[in-house]
Amino acid sequence: MGELKLKPQKNTRTIEEINAKIRKGDAQVLTAEEMKKLVESSSIEVAFKEVDVVTTGTFGAMCSSGAVINLGHSDPPIKIDKAWMNDVPVCHPGAAVDLYIGATAMSETQAYEYGGGHLIEDLVKGKEVELRATAYGTDCYPRNSIRTNLTKDDLNQFYLLNFRNGYQRYNCAVNSRDETIYTYMGKLLPKMRNATYSGAGELNPLMNDPDYETIGIGTRIFLGGAQGYIIGEGTQHEAKSQNGTLMVRGDAKKMSPEFLRGASFTRYGTTLYVGLGVPIPILNEGLAKKTAIRDEEIFTNVVDYGVPRRNRPKLAKVSYKELKSGAITVGDKKIRVSSLSSLKMARQIATTLKKWIEEGTFFLTAPVERLPLDTTFKPMKQTETTSFVKNVMQMAVTCKETEEVRTIAERIVSKSVNHIVAVDNAGKLIGIVTSWDVTRAMAQGKTQLADIMTRRVFTAKPDEPLEMASKRMAEHNISALPVINDEKKVLGIVTSEDVAKLLGRRT
Amino acid sequence: MSPNYWEGELEMVRLLLRFSEEIVDQPIVSELILEFKAPINIITALVNSKGGEVLAEVPQEAADKIVKALRKRGVKVSLPKLIEVDAEKCISCGSCVALCPVEAIAFDEHASVVFNKEKCVGSTCSACVDACPVRAIKSVKQTNHELSYTAAKGALGKQ
Repeated sequence: MGELKLKPQKNTRTIEEINAKIRKGDAQVLTAEEMKKLVESSSIEVAFKEVDVVTTGTFGAMCSSGAVINLGHSDPPIKIDKAWMNDVPVCHPGAAVDLYIGATAMSETQAYEYGGGHLIEDLVKGKEVELRATAYGTDCYPRNSIRTNLTKDDLNQFYLLNFRNGYQRYNCAVNSRDETIYTYMGKLLPKMRNATYSGAGELNPLMNDPDYETIGIGTRIFLGGAQGYIIGEGTQHEAKSQNGTLMVRGDAKKMSPEFLRGASFTRYGTTLYVGLGVPIPILNEGLAKKTAIRDEEIFTNVVDYGVPRRNRPKLAKVSYKELKSGAITVGDKKIRVSSLSSLKMARQIATTLKKWIEEGTFFLTAPVERLPLDTTFKPMKQTETTSFVKNVMQMAVTCKETEEVRTIAERIVSKSVNHIVAVDNAGKLIGIVTSWDVTRAMAQGKTQLADIMTRRVFTAKPDEPLEMASKRMAEHNISALPVINDEKKVLGIVTSEDVAKLLGRRT
Repeated sequence: MSPNYWEGELEMVRLLLRFSEEIVDQPIVSELILEFKAPINIITALVNSKGGEVLAEVPQEAADKIVKALRKRGVKVSLPKLIEVDAEKCISCGSCVALCPVEAIAFDEHASVVFNKEKCVGSTCSACVDACPVRAIKSVKQTNHELSYTAAKGALGKQ
């Protein structure tokens, strides 16, 4: 009672102290999932005392990834203007023989199936790839073209350089449309019949240090199966909304194809799955508490990707616990959900990083500058106005299902239109009839509209970008779309003529 | 003595059966089960008065005679492709899981994606195939070569 402690309890530890323990082989390392269990079964105080480092991990499709390579000079030398590797166009942003392979650049011969991500994976695997390049030729770089086969061993530098990785959390995607859509969030079935999400939740690196106390420029990390570094915040980094991101770099020659996988998203394009893990040094009790965060405390929005606009409707809020359970609820609808990122691989990354630290092959670094807490992610400034369906749609000429073909023919002539929209008494869409349908009906002697009108009608929404409506008309080889609201009430009609007129005005 | 198809581990072959309007009301499958004393498992069935399409499974050893008997009764028989997952390629992301209408794809307790071939309805669905980002899921021909040969020939003969 009231005794003085002989030795004051130390309530912080430093990275140097942790590294000294790693050197001796007695650093206590837990994966983020193990840390949560420890805190639950004991307390934050105990967890702080016992644990030096918590390892995190994530393995997901990260489109803003790529690799910088340096080819060395050919003889005679070339200043590359355009270049392809395995038919994937690669960028030439700098001097003569420096190239950047973007993960989303697609092969010109196998579009959607092979791209920059696959090319990086092939190089990491040690496969030979074909380089083709052209140039305009200068006095110092006379060559006009080159073709050669290379492996990673032939490159001077082969660095993974990703400008946005490791999103702290991400949207859950659904699709309200009547058709399946293929997005960067995967295949989304019509009428919200499935949902997809990405991210490791409680295993995610930034989620375990949400104030970026220990994460910043110079933090050594697990990247693609090797040691890499955080070189700053990623693009679109926004701390306040818990949407932090990382910019990272690592020596791809040392990486493993297990943790860097080229991927194809059908009808969207190619990308790269990146394995990334950050060690969180438990410097104080606050960090012990933060690394105890659970999936049920991490929330994200269910977003309707069926609306092709920047501000897609947010339909509900869900936790990563619900997402990992396989089903979410939106309104009164239960929707099956599964991930695009791999939890299994995320765990493997956290476990591998833990092993490296325990074995004394990975030491922690203190960041020279922490990730910013105040940046925001602004929308694009647009100086030209965009056209939406509502900007070009016209009043629809309508009819009732009970009318006769002859009456419709007269209306087509008097209103000089090609499309008549059939509506019910409430003004809701029930069909469409074209001048062609009417001509054919007259030739065949049909008199009732009900017998000739098309009932499965492709439609447009007023807030849709005009490009979408125009694409739909081209895809289905039709020349007009009734414009309807959510209740199927007809608001107008947009025709290919209107679209063509608008495009004509622009040029 | 006819072979016993009801005991032990049986290698099964999947067949896609198409019934026309004229024969859809006949109890063909039941008759064949009795005739050959062999199980014919119906996996999916889409049947109405205009005809039907049934995905069924029959023992490999009895497959040839069952196919012959089905065709004799006017049923169009073909070998549907099956879904195969390349476990080496799979990264267990889960892109396919929620798309599977029969829950043949699921996560196990280690967050690995596991594929249950028995539950899968095969290429008649294929919802998962184009959703796999590492192209580990393929629609492939059944490897019962002899049957696929006779079935193909039979199907061509009918046209």
